[in-house]
Amino acid sequence: MGLRQKIIDSQIYRDFIQRKATGPLRTYYDIPPADPSRSVMDTEFIALDLETTGLDPKRDEIVSLGWVIIRQLGVDFSSCEHVLVRPKRELSESSVVVHHIFDSDVANAPDIGTALEHLLPQMAGRVLISHHAPIELGFLGQACKRCFGAPLQIPTVDTLVLALRDLHRSGQPMKSGALKLDNLRRSHNLPPFRAHNALSDAIAASGLFLAQIAKRDPKGELELNRILR
Amino acid sequence: MSIELEEIAEFLKQHHPFDLLPDEEINALPKRLTARYFRAGTKVLSPEEQCLHLYIIRTGGTETRDPNGQLLARLSEGECFGVRAMFRNGKAANNITTLEDSLCYLLPEKDFHGLADKYPQFKYFFAQMGGDRLRSGMQLLESRDDDQLKLMSVKVADLIARDLVSIDKSATILEAGKLMSKERVSCLLVTEGEDHVAGIMTDRDLRNRVVAQGRSYDDPITEIMTANPISIHPDDYAFDALLTMTRHNVRHLPVMKGGKAVGMITTNNLLARQSLSAVYMAGRIGKLTDPADMAKVIKQVPELLSHLIEAGATSQNAGHIVTTLSDAATVRLLQLAEEKFGPPPVPYVWVAGGSQGRQEQTALSDQDNCLIIDDTYDPEQHSDWFKALAEFVCDGLNTVGYVYCPGEMMAKTDQWRQPARVWQQYFNKWIEQPEPKALMLCSVWFDLRPIHGTKSLFDNLHRLIVSKARDNRIFQAYMVGNALTHHVPLGFFKNFVMIRGGEHDSTLDLKHNGVVPIVDLARIHALANGVDAVNTFERLHAVKSFPSISKQGASDLLDAFEFISITRLKHQVRQIRRGDAPDNFLHPESLSAFERSHLKDAFSVIKNLQSALENAFGKSGT
Repeated sequence: MGLRQKIIDSQIYRDFIQRKATGPLRTYYDIPPADPSRSVMDTEFIALDLETTGLDPKRDEIVSLGWVIIRQLGVDFSSCEHVLVRPKRELSESSVVVHHIFDSDVANAPDIGTALEHLLPQMAGRVLISHHAPIELGFLGQACKRCFGAPLQIPTVDTLVLALRDLHRSGQPMKSGALKLDNLRRSHNLPPFRAHNALSDAIAASGLFLAQIAKRDPKGELELNRILR
Repeated sequence: MSIELEEIAEFLKQHHPFDLLPDEEINALPKRLTARYFRAGTKVLSPEEQCLHLYIIRTGGTETRDPNGQLLARLSEGECFGVRAMFRNGKAANNITTLEDSLCYLLPEKDFHGLADKYPQFKYFFAQMGGDRLRSGMQLLESRDDDQLKLMSVKVADLIARDLVSIDKSATILEAGKLMSKERVSCLLVTEGEDHVAGIMTDRDLRNRVVAQGRSYDDPITEIMTANPISIHPDDYAFDALLTMTRHNVRHLPVMKGGKAVGMITTNNLLARQSLSAVYMAGRIGKLTDPADMAKVIKQVPELLSHLIEAGATSQNAGHIVTTLSDAATVRLLQLAEEKFGPPPVPYVWVAGGSQGRQEQTALSDQDNCLIIDDTYDPEQHSDWFKALAEFVCDGLNTVGYVYCPGEMMAKTDQWRQPARVWQQYFNKWIEQPEPKALMLCSVWFDLRPIHGTKSLFDNLHRLIVSKARDNRIFQAYMVGNALTHHVPLGFFKNFVMIRGGEHDSTLDLKHNGVVPIVDLARIHALANGVDAVNTFERLHAVKSFPSISKQGASDLLDAFEFISITRLKHQVRQIRRGDAPDNFLHPESLSAFERSHLKDAFSVIKNLQSALENAFGKSGT
């Protein structure tokens, strides 16, 4: 982990940005972050995925968010949410091809600020799970800055990083596509998902996460520290 | 509902019994679920552990073992565990371990009961599994409100779970194996032409006749199939299927109608539907090696009996099933003895007498048995082996719960462990020079049934007994004298004559004053007419056509026997349900007026036929 990241993850930085944050982001920071010395069993996680108009958080926008909460290493389907977001600009053809979300779908959807207002309380005190987290962190961070004046700090588990560690440890040569969510799920005997959208990918990542934890420690007594990004 | 949850709903719809629920319920279910993941080899539940969810296996597989480590089930995708916990206040009953990496969906107990209360067919599926109290030692503590399957009222046709999977007899073993794997069945019907049944092939055959014998997979299946299998009719009752399977020790029965196979039922069908299975218990005994472990199974016989009677079984059915279990324990102990002491030096047959011989055991009985050894028996060389065997088995049966016979009518007694020629001398003496006292003691030896070993040894002796007894009037007269010593409890005005004072004050002894006199009557009529059956029902049916008893008399006696036996069994079931030890002493007030009058009728039938017998054979010997 680089020095910059250490600073970004630090309590001092958190105190600093909390003072700048407004609205729901300020409330978010009122709740202390998950304790890294706790066991994973006693930690609550939020698996999240989002779909965007492109790959650059500075230029592109979020069009949908999906999440599900994990308590006591169980994926709680009652907490599933899928939120469409109305972007400021019209959807480009190239992004529609990827996520199949059309302008007409999002015409009546809330804007990103309203969506975050709904999401942030769900993230407070929890640990983010994402498959390739820089995307989620980048887009959510940008959105928070734009809407509520400060970046987002959240302890994060990246299932892709965990998978990479597993692969390195096994010492086997990496096959192409080995780190794709579907392939990783298959290698852990998890069922395939036909649908692909933000929520299904969030659920898919949550299942993979459970499998990765079970592999490390079936009882879940593992410290959160050991798996954070 | 979002697409991804729809996939979970789709998954549920494909699996029984969720497929029984209406769409709106299924679609609402995913939101109530939690997903959990377990690595292969993880112990998910242990007995008495808190379990507040029903577990539905999404991927992977698990193994269920009872607290003693006995394997109960292997479950895979779409199957559920934690069912027992749903019916015992959230306490797991068994050990559940994952066999593969598994993803499970957990349905909260409250939602489970919500569905179960609303949809009887859904509850029914689980109640059978959850009501399977026999599988644990905790039965009596559990709730009893789950609907019991009326074993006697469900037809075989209702048990057929899926379409028949069949294969032409020209197929090879490899093709059959592939088909079984693809269709996920444990048994194939082998057909010839359109629908003529040539045989059946089971996974057991693959193991025993292919793998174990190193046979080529290219051999035709006709080499390993069971030709002309035992079958059952769709209109037969589930109960008949159970009996047939137990009797023939098979796990699959083709269902045939008008010469065509219409389905297949397996022990699993019965187990899933039928909470208490004698097949299961007998199979379990067959795998145990310690009499103390067998005792745990046999301890459940009272519970089994209760279920059978409550399900409407006749006393004859109940007797057959309960006896099947003591037969299973006997056979198993003999196998273990042969493993321990080596193969028998000369042929022998283990024979059961008394109620086990007649297949009329009830809750728990003592043991009556003997050994008939081949005449090549040389006491110098062989007596040690047979003594060791008999002691091992009799002691084992005592541990299992069939206590020593107070009269020592057991194979471990030297006198009752003899070569065939000595047994012939015994019977010659009893029949040709009867002594009343000796006869009374050895009446158990006139109800013999071979259990294990060289059956021809028994057959030869039995033929001799039957032919000698038929021709000997003096012997018959002595037997009659004995039989008449058991009086029925009726006074001159057809009022009950009850036991006075003591522990059983104001009761009727249904065994000694009801069942035993009929058994005696049936034995005498059978022996006098050369009938070789030993079961009382069979004896009475067989003697109907003989002059020694009127046809009406035999029919009346059959009815009386059933009525008294079932009254006795129901009395015992009530005691078992109360947590008391079953006995034979009935307070007549515990019966309805209607039942009381029936019971009086039954006793007067016995009384009349005893008098008729006395007249026919003449009273003597007493």
